Amino acid sequence: MSGWAEAADLVGATLLLLGCLQCLLGVIGMLRFPDVLSRSHAATKPQTLGILLVLVGVALRLRHGIDLGTLALIVFFQFLTSPVASHLVARSAYRTGQTGSRGLLRDDLDPQLSPGERPEE
Amino acid sequence: MTTLNAVEDAMLAASAVMVLLAGALLLYRIWYGPSMLDRAVALDVAAALIIAGVSVKAAQDGDSFYFPVMLVLAFLGFTGSVGIARFIAVRDRPSVRADGREDHR
Repeated sequence: MSGWAEAADLVGATLLLLGCLQCLLGVIGMLRFPDVLSRSHAATKPQTLGILLVLVGVALRLRHGIDLGTLALIVFFQFLTSPVASHLVARSAYRTGQTGSRGLLRDDLDPQLSPGERPEE
Repeated sequence: MTTLNAVEDAMLAASAVMVLLAGALLLYRIWYGPSMLDRAVALDVAAALIIAGVSVKAAQDGDSFYFPVMLVLAFLGFTGSVGIARFIAVRDRPSVRADGREDHR
């Protein structure tokens, strides 16, 4: 029993370290990428994975039922709200022209948004 | 036993240092923007970093006192960036500089 507890502590500390490293890498990506969409990409995915790893690590170190329920709720709400914010930021970035579209080969949304023109068939 | 505990303490301290370093780097992105949407994304990441930092503190102390704070942050942390993206950034159109580049400030 004590051996299992020590193993869970060690695995929890390792997952905490990996999750915090993932968060740090995401922030470094936010600093280095050129425009809003790629920065949002660099922000969202490593943050989500990092938060998941950190919370699993904490759950392995504090092994009580109520704490596990709270951590599961935190993971649930994080996974529920993070795509909403990311989607709204990306939509607003496209509609205010901050997407860096000079590197874009083909833009399927542009003819849908411009009011007077039909896309060529 | 004690060696294992020392290794775990070192790993938790390294995690705390990484979260603090990430927060310091994030302050650069919040300060220099360049656009309002970058700050909105950075605000979202800041909420995630606060959750990670509080988790490291809870793992160091073996104490779940601050878990409701993390729950509220995960629940409401996206409202700031949604508000910025929906209501402020629409008025924040980029102006074109003399050399043709767009200025998102």
